[in-house]
Parts: sequence; structure tokens; C-alpha cells
Amino acid sequence: MGSSARKKQEKKKDFQKPKYKVGKAKPKASNFTDTSFKSKAIVMNQQSLSTAAPDVVQQFKHNLSLASSSRSDKQRRDALAYLTSQLSSHPPINPVGTNILLSKLLPLISDSSTPVRSQLLKLLRVLPEEEAKHSTEQAIMFIRAGMTHLSADISGDSLGVMEWLLDVAEDELVTIPGGWVKTLSTFCVTMGWSLASTVPGWTSAARSSLRAKDAQTLARQISILSRFLQAGLRSETAAVPSSEEYWDSFYGLPRSSNAFEYLNLFGSRRDEEGEMYPNREARQQVFYRRFFEPVTKGIEKVKKEGGAAGRAAVGLDQVLKDGMGDYAASAGMDAQDLLNLW
Amino acid sequence: MVKRKVAALEKIDADFASLQYKIRRDPKSYKDDFLKQWEQYEAQREIFFTSPTTAAADTVESFHNMIDLIAHVADCYPEETRTFQDDLKAIVAQHHETLHPELRDKVVGSLVLLRRKEVIDSTSLLTTLFPILVSSRSKSMREMLFQKILSDMRNSNSKSTNHPLNRTIQAVLYNLVTADRSSPRAIWAIKLTRELWKRQVWTDAKPVDVMKEACLADNEKVIVGATRFFLGGDKEREELEDESSDEEIDLAKVKHQITINKKSRKQKEAYRKAVDKVKKQEKKKSKPHPLNFSALHLLHDPQLFAEQLFEKHLQGTKNKLSLDTKLLVLQLVTRLVGLHKLTIVPLYSWFIKYLTPKQQSVTSILASLAQGVHNLVPPDALEPLIQKIANEFVSEASASEVAAVGLNAIREICSRQSLAMTETLLQDLVQYRKSKDKGVMMAAKGLLSLYREVGAEMLKKRDRGKDATMGLSSGMMKQRKFGEEEIGGIEGLDLLAKWKEEQRKRKRAEKGLPEDGSDGSDDEKDADEDDGWEIDSDDSSDSGEWINVEHSSDEEDEPAPKKRKGENAADDDEDEDEDEEANAEDEAAELERMTKLATTTILTPADLAKLQELRAAASVQKAMGARTRKRQTNNDANNNGTTHQDDGLTAENIEAPIRLRKLTKEEKVALAKEGKPDRDEHKSTQAIRKSKKDAAGKSTSNREKQRKKNFLMTLGKAKSKQKRSLVETRKVLRGHVERSTRGGRRRNGT
Repeated sequence: MGSSARKKQEKKKDFQKPKYKVGKAKPKASNFTDTSFKSKAIVMNQQSLSTAAPDVVQQFKHNLSLASSSRSDKQRRDALAYLTSQLSSHPPINPVGTNILLSKLLPLISDSSTPVRSQLLKLLRVLPEEEAKHSTEQAIMFIRAGMTHLSADISGDSLGVMEWLLDVAEDELVTIPGGWVKTLSTFCVTMGWSLASTVPGWTSAARSSLRAKDAQTLARQISILSRFLQAGLRSETAAVPSSEEYWDSFYGLPRSSNAFEYLNLFGSRRDEEGEMYPNREARQQVFYRRFFEPVTKGIEKVKKEGGAAGRAAVGLDQVLKDGMGDYAASAGMDAQDLLNLW
Repeated sequence: MVKRKVAALEKIDADFASLQYKIRRDPKSYKDDFLKQWEQYEAQREIFFTSPTTAAADTVESFHNMIDLIAHVADCYPEETRTFQDDLKAIVAQHHETLHPELRDKVVGSLVLLRRKEVIDSTSLLTTLFPILVSSRSKSMREMLFQKILSDMRNSNSKSTNHPLNRTIQAVLYNLVTADRSSPRAIWAIKLTRELWKRQVWTDAKPVDVMKEACLADNEKVIVGATRFFLGGDKEREELEDESSDEEIDLAKVKHQITINKKSRKQKEAYRKAVDKVKKQEKKKSKPHPLNFSALHLLHDPQLFAEQLFEKHLQGTKNKLSLDTKLLVLQLVTRLVGLHKLTIVPLYSWFIKYLTPKQQSVTSILASLAQGVHNLVPPDALEPLIQKIANEFVSEASASEVAAVGLNAIREICSRQSLAMTETLLQDLVQYRKSKDKGVMMAAKGLLSLYREVGAEMLKKRDRGKDATMGLSSGMMKQRKFGEEEIGGIEGLDLLAKWKEEQRKRKRAEKGLPEDGSDGSDDEKDADEDDGWEIDSDDSSDSGEWINVEHSSDEEDEPAPKKRKGENAADDDEDEDEDEEANAEDEAAELERMTKLATTTILTPADLAKLQELRAAASVQKAMGARTRKRQTNNDANNNGTTHQDDGLTAENIEAPIRLRKLTKEEKVALAKEGKPDRDEHKSTQAIRKSKKDAAGKSTSNREKQRKKNFLMTLGKAKSKQKRSLVETRKVLRGHVERSTRGGRRRNGT
């Protein structure tokens, strides 16, 4: 307790307001810390100084890395646009190769931003078909993931990519391991044609989609499915055997990327889903066993709904008739029996 | 993993939480959505497996989300998610080293979740997680796995003991320990076993077996862990039990609070929980006490085990254990030897080279030695040890602490095997009771009082004391021979006999019969027993008497009837009865007869309950009462009193009592605070102390009497001091000088 006048005065000082005056600097606060500093030189740890601008290869790589791993979606889209422009120039500039490019960019199928996805599709369209073929296996994995994505936008956009893949490599798509059955089941699931045994009773789970947009998507899905089925169930015409090819098959070096894939020497054991279905008959067989019923049922249902989806379903029905018309369930051995034996 | 920003619209779209909620609410309707997500999961898994090590953050995150979702709804679609558990197991088993930490934790968490939803069973979960726990190099991962494994073990044993699971896990642990003796992996087996032992999930012999094997490992960490378990695991278990039973809930208080505070659902819930807890506790109280043997008792073939331990870790010169570890192992070996009365003769000669004051932590070596002695150890093996301790530690030249330690050690050894002492040595050592150092003096007195009980012939006549001399002359006291065992009895049975006798007397008095009539007493006793068969029948009625019983109990708390005879006579003087003196012999005979109660009658449950009560009362009395102090110290010396045989001997017991050591600051402060009165009223410390003393009815000290003495009465002495003759003065002064040269009234040291 300050009893003296002096002490009281001192106390008062703490609570007095500072007086500001025009034209004078604001008085510094009592706890003001001077953070300014002086230095003779600033040292930087790393810096890349070059007199020349980065060359095209560098830029391409930089943009590729931006596109695949940047956090800002605008940056990703711009980088993709740059890559697209590079690839579409004459002659196309692609220092890393299509395969690596695809492995970096395919995860963007499930990207959260719509402009990025559409830009990605544009980029895929300009890729050389011959080279893109070899990445089919990788691409279909990401496409399947995209198609089943929770977000409707993403699953819709990944249909576009699927279309691209069908354009580029439909034969590879249906023959690679897992390409036929897994993709088919993904289609069925996305359209809600349940693969499991049908629920007894009349009512089935109502399609949550009666909106126009969903109907459009459904139509698109059906039309792409019909393309896919067409590719898989198309009748094969045996090439005229030439003696040269015959000997080549024994002594010539294989030209395809993974020529002995079907032997599955290094991979894990495949089940029915992951198996390769190299010829039409095998595909027909497995389709008949697993998908025929749900697909036909689904077609019936969509036909009744009519509209764009109904029209697409009619097309699909036609494809199915063409593809499966000559199929007779054979009692012969098929791959599944062999797998079961094992 | 830094999460990428999600646009607002998309957030609504890709909301796993709401989808999960919806699916769980109504699995049937959302089956299509689920199937789509399942496909998504499959696709993500496929993508992930193409390059598990170099997966991008995005891929990892989406896979993480999918696993989370599927794990939460897996129980709704058991058919569709059949393969899910195997996938998870494969992922975590194959890639746990390289997985992204968050994803790894999620996979493990999902497995545990599946276990909780009972999609998979405990065995498969634990057999998946345990190998990873053992082999993982990530600390956080190991920590988490350990927690999960432990909690799963506890959960699956919570309702009833899950024997098959326990067997499986115990076998796994056993194999882990025995497979590679030099690997430090066995530490996990030890940790798990110890934890489950502590929580009383495992209480049988198999975990003890695991620990036993771990003790014989080659890795030092493992050895230390397992040895610590044997030395402290049971105490830990008891402490935990006490802790859990400590927290009491005052239900009335909770209820009252509810009436005062705002009523809310939370409070209601809290009240309900409190009621549950109280109920559970009551149920626990009424349950019979689980018979849990200590780990040391559950050992199979302790002789072989102790021998192996000794040979492997102590005896040879090859072992490279540190001294601390060696001490631990030594403690375990000697504890086993003392507890099970094993015979390992080379053990004692091994000690010889460690028995010097310069040896590091010699007190705990001495404690181990004393602990390893029992009455079946050949005295020849111990004699050189005692001689060596006496030579090295106990001499005028050595520091007083050292001498005290030596004497204490000798006392502890001799209290277990009194025959190891020679007469001349004993007589020498006993003379240290005149020492000026308090520690040495107390230690020597302890040794003296011990030998007054167990071997009075070896003492000089004047050291024997009254009881021992009387006992020797009457032939009641004899030194026990090697291998001779004391006649056993039920602890506290004499208390029961006494109580019964009193009950009988009271009943007879009520009926108006003479108190000590013996006619028909047997019939009465029989009748008593008949209605005393049920515990509850006479439980509450005795609450008035038990003070009475206590009073008698402190006379009777010595189990051996032989030694008590003289004391009995002395104690009985205090009783009111005049003619008791004459009847003392009869009384003793009667009591002895009653002590044979166990051999002549069948003890009913009510009797046993009463016995328990009396024992507890007697121990409380013993802890509080001042009258029995002397006897209690004797008991301590005999080591059949307060300390149980299961508790090992520690270095603390061997060192001088804590008050005599140099105190640390904390101890000093605590000591100073101890005596201080609480400052409720503002009086001087002394005034408060005095009033306290007055209130307790205690007498004043000589100094105080002197101070209070009437002045006039002191005048005479003061005058006479002035009038002393020269001769008298000289005498006084001479006496003073002589005392100072000798070192005070009590003489300097011997």
C-alpha cells in the first residue's frame, strides 16, 4: 500500500492514457521489442542460378511433377494443359515416354476438381494410341476405382476415360488379367444390377436415382457397357495361317510387353476374377455364368423406364444377342474347373 | 499425410461418415451403395498393391478411408466382406515395415474393430498381431500393438476365463522365449505376461513357466525382466487390487447433488453409473477371495530352477552380466532357496569373495545371503561366512555403519540358522552392545535378544536375562538341534480357545452357575457349536465383546506354549482375581488343552470366521499397543512375527535403521514437520505440546519437575554446595575428569 503521495502518483501513472498528437510518431509501447536487424550479407542455402531458361525437357518434367503432386488444383490443371500442348505439337514432345507419363497421371482420374479431370481426358486423347496400349492394365485399375467413386461427378468423368481406353485398346482391355470379369462386375455394381442372388419378394431397393442427370449417366453407362461387351464378345476371325508366323511363334522374339503373362510366373495366384480370358469362348463362358442373368434383368428394367437409358438398353440388348447368340453352355472343362481343382 | 482441400460441394458428395451411418442404420436398403464401395475398395487395394512402398499420399488416403468404411460396416454384410479380414491381415503382415504409419495404424485398428464386432475371433487376431509386435522396428507401432493385444486379452477374459485362448497365447509366448534364447524378442513375452499377471487375468502355472524359461535366457534384458517379475510381480498384483478397491463412491452424496444441481441427462447417466459401480463392488465383496498363489509358489521344480540359475548366471566365470543384474539374479536364487528350503551348497562358498566392506552394494549381497539361509542349511557351510563377516565388518577399526551392517547381517543369518554361530564369537559380538554408536548398539542388542531366545547356553551367564535363565534352569528351554522342526499349529487358535472359554463362562454366569464348573461343559460346547455352524448366526452379536478379546489376546499371541509359561504367570498377576496365582499352572494346562482344539473338534465355518476376526484384532492391537513392544521386537528377531516369509529380505533391513543414517533434506523436513502441532490456536509450540501431554495424562520429565520445584526447597542444596569441604570438592572434580577421559558415563566404545 503506497501511503505517500509519491507512491500514489506512481500508481496512477500506469493507468493514464497516452496522448496522441498529430504530426508526431506514435509513442512506443512499454513492451515494444525492436526486431529490425542489420546484416552485411544474406546467405542462401540453395539456389539455382542459370543464365539460360530451363530447356523443354526440364520444363516438361517440372510440369509433370506439378500435375501429379501439386496441392493447388489450378496449378494441376495448368500443368496438364501445358503437357497437352506439348504432346499435341508436331512432332510431339514427350521426353519421359508414354508409360511413365500415364503412371504419373492416371491417379488424377479420381481427382477432386472437375477442370483437372476434363483436362486429363483431353491429354489422354492426344497420346499416341500404339504406346498407350501397353499401359492398359494400369489404366483399367484406376478407371475402375474412378467408376466406383463415391462422388457422382468423378464416376461420371471416369466413364469418359473408359471410352478413351475402349478407343485405344479394346482388344487388350478384354484379354488382360482381371480386365474382363472385374470390369464387368464394376459396371454391374455402378448401375445397381446386383450380382448376388436376387432378393425374394417384389420390391427391390429403389434406385435412388430418378433425377434427369442420373438417367443420363445411366444411359451413358449402358452405352459404354455395350461397347465393352461388343469388344469382348465380337466374333474372332482366324487369320490365315502363314508358315512364317508359325515359325515365328517358336523362334521369333515376342513383340508384346509381357509376352508370357498368361503363365503368371511371378504374380500371386489369380482367382476367377483376376484370371485372363484370352479368347471369345472363355469370355462368353464366364459372362454367361456370372453376368448374363443380372444384365438381362437390368436391361428389362431399364427398357421399361424408357427414355435415353431405355434406348441405350435396347442397343445393349442387341449387342448381347449378337455376342451370346451362338453360345451354348458346354459341359466341357473350363478354367474355373481347373482352379477349383487346385 | 496432409489432406488435400476438399471443395464444399464435393464434401457433401463424398461423405463417408454419413454413408457409414446410413448403411449401419439400414443395411438392406443401402446394399447397392455398399457394393459400389466394396468395388471401390477392391480397386484401391489393387492399386495399392501394385506399389505398396511408393504409394502416393492420395492413394494412401483413399485406401485408408475405404478400409475404415468397410471395417465399420463389415458386420452388416458378412457374406460380401468374407475376404476383408484376410486382406487386412495380409497387408499388415507383409508390409508393416513399409506402410504409411497412419494406414498401418488404421489397418490394425480395423482388425481390432472386426474383433469387437466378432467378425474374427481373438485367436486369429492375436496370432496376426503378435508376430508383428515382436518383429516391428517402429516404436509407436509396437506400443499400439501391445496395447491392443493386452486389451483384447483382458476383454476376452473379462466375463469368464477363456482357457483355449489363454493356452494358445501362452504356448506362443513359451515358444518365443525358448526358440531363441539370445534374442531380445522375448522381452515382449515378459511384458505381456507380467501385465496379465498383474491384472489377474493369468494366475496359473503356465505363465510362471514362461517366466522361468525367460530367466534362463542369454539376453540380459530378458533375464532382468523375468527376474524382476519373480521378485516384484506379486506385490504389484496386490497393489493394483488394493488400488481398485480403494475408490469408494458415496451414493448418498451423488443423489444429493442431483437434487441440488440442474437435472440433465448427463447427471442421470452419472448416477446410474455410480449405482452400477457400487453394486459391482458389493458383488465383489461378497465373492470368495480368489486363491491366487504367488509366482514363486507356482514354480515347478524350484530346486532345479535355482540350481540352473545359479550355475548359469552366477557361478561360472564366463557370464558377462553386470553387477546389478547379478544382484537381481542372486536375490531370486536366495529367495527361492529360503522359501522352498532348497539345498545348494556351492552357493554359500560363492559368497565368500563378496563379503568385504569395499564390495559395491554389499548390503544387498548380505541381505541375499541372509535370505538364502534356512534351518536346513548345514551350519558348517555358514560358519566361515559368519566368521568372515565378523572379521571384515565388525571391529573397532571399521566405521560404525559398517559394524552395524555386519552385526545386522549376522543376526539375520543366525535368526534363520542359529547353529551357525560359535560361542566365543557370539560372546565377542554381544559386547558391542556397549558401543557408543547407536546403530552398532542396537544391532548388538538385537543379536543378544535373538540368542536369549534361541541359544541362551552360548551366552555368558550374566547376559542371559531373567527369562532365559529361568527357562534354562527349569529345562523348558533347549537349543533346537539341526533339522528339528517346531510343532506347528493354527495361527491364532489359542485366541479362539480363549474366546470360547470366556463365552462359556459368561453363559454359565448368566444361568447362575459357578463360573469354572466343569460338569457338562462338553455338552454345552456341543450345543454352542450346533447353533454356531452358520457364520451369520453369531456374527453381529459379538460386537460388544471384541474389545474384551483384544485385552486377552496380547497375552496370548505367542504361538509356542512352551516358552510362555513363565510370562503367563507374570502376566496373570495383573488380573483382578486373587486366587489366580495359585491356579496359574492349571490355567496353563487348560489353555494348552484348548489349543489342541483343532485336534479334538471340527472347526465350523463360524469358528473360522471368528478366528479370522480375532487374528485381525490381535494384529491391530499389536501394531498399536505399547505393552507388547518388547515381545514384538523378539518376534522380529525370530522372523515369525510381522514379516511374512514370502517377503524377501532387502538391503534396507540390513542397513542401520533409517533414523540413524544420514538423512536427506526431504527426510529431515518430514521429520521436523512430524512432531509439529497444527497451528489452529496461536500458542507456543511448547505450550501446545504440554497441553497435549496433559490431556494424554502423561507425567512430566525430571527437568520439568526440577524447574517447577518450590524455590525454598532448593535453597538447602544450593547452600550445601557452597559448604562442601575441599576433599569433597576434589572428589567431585576428579570424578569429572575421569569421566571425560573415559568418554562419559557410558564409557567409550568397546
